[in-house]
Amino acid sequence: MHLTDERLNEYLDNETADKAGIEAHLHSCKKCAARLSDLQSLFADLDSLPDVELSANIAARFSPRPSLILQPPRWLTLTTTLQAAAALTALVVAAPFFSIMLSQIETPSFTTLLLQLQTRWTMFLNALSALAANPVEEFQLPITDYPLPIAELSALFIPLAVVSIFWVLGNGWLLRNQNR
Amino acid sequence: MTAPADRDLILRARRGETEAYGELVARHQTNVFNVCYRMLHNRHDAEDLAQEAFIRALDRLHTFDPEREFGPWIRRVATNLCLNHLEAQKPTAPLDEERDEDKTQSPGEQAEVKERSEQIRAALASLPPRYRVVVELRHYQDLSYDEIAKELSLPLSDVKSHLFRARKLLAEKLHAPD
Repeated sequence: MHLTDERLNEYLDNETADKAGIEAHLHSCKKCAARLSDLQSLFADLDSLPDVELSANIAARFSPRPSLILQPPRWLTLTTTLQAAAALTALVVAAPFFSIMLSQIETPSFTTLLLQLQTRWTMFLNALSALAANPVEEFQLPITDYPLPIAELSALFIPLAVVSIFWVLGNGWLLRNQNR
Repeated sequence: MTAPADRDLILRARRGETEAYGELVARHQTNVFNVCYRMLHNRHDAEDLAQEAFIRALDRLHTFDPEREFGPWIRRVATNLCLNHLEAQKPTAPLDEERDEDKTQSPGEQAEVKERSEQIRAALASLPPRYRVVVELRHYQDLSYDEIAKELSLPLSDVKSHLFRARKLLAEKLHAPD
């Protein structure tokens, strides 16, 4: 009795529990050994098939390309440019008014301001020391003859306008960099 | 500097790093393409389906266990895609004229190898899709009968009969006396 095709296939695929039995038969049966040899030859043929080189690089299709980076919509770019232009025009137009306004505001120099603050701080510390030495006396904050400079409300418009311009220009610059 | 492991690339790709998935594709694209080429015997279709396999894998990457090997998994994704493709198309697909080439051999040997490889590919391409897929999974992806049955959702008996009949057909075509 010869081995079936199924048993020979299972033997070569290492999918049989009766390996020893099949090998014993193969030793004694030339016909089954020849069939096994034919099947092994087919396995060898299939194993010999070489890999083929890929002509296209599939990986490149999964890499980000500049063209795939999201571009801001055209209207946004245009709006940003118009904003920047409007802000610059406003600054140029407002510049003479700002200079007049600045001349009207009495602001001490930076050095004077620092000196005033230092004096106030020293007096405050002295008052605290006096309080610690004699806590019975009523504590009073020191009063100085140096009033702190109070800026006019209109003066706030100047830094506000400058900050706005920097913000608009900065945004435009960032958008340009993103486009690149 | 050592190259990152597939596992690290998978984790990075899951976080949305396209470059990491690109690197993963670069590592496995030739193997995946060859699975498709053995199944389809058509370079253009094989490239398309190899790319499709990587797209499918990317979609399912969040369900993939990164502790498993990526290579066998992506090859099986490609195999199933090819099987679906073959079953959806008419049986008379044009076969590639391309021949295999091994540059380490002499021109005479190269011609022999090309001819034999072409015979094997043509024989594989002549098999019904279900037979072709079990040959691919058994011979080129080293899956056991049980694993093939699980992969194709087929009874074990069908896997065996497909495989043994496929081998018989291949032997008839390849070992037939001239």
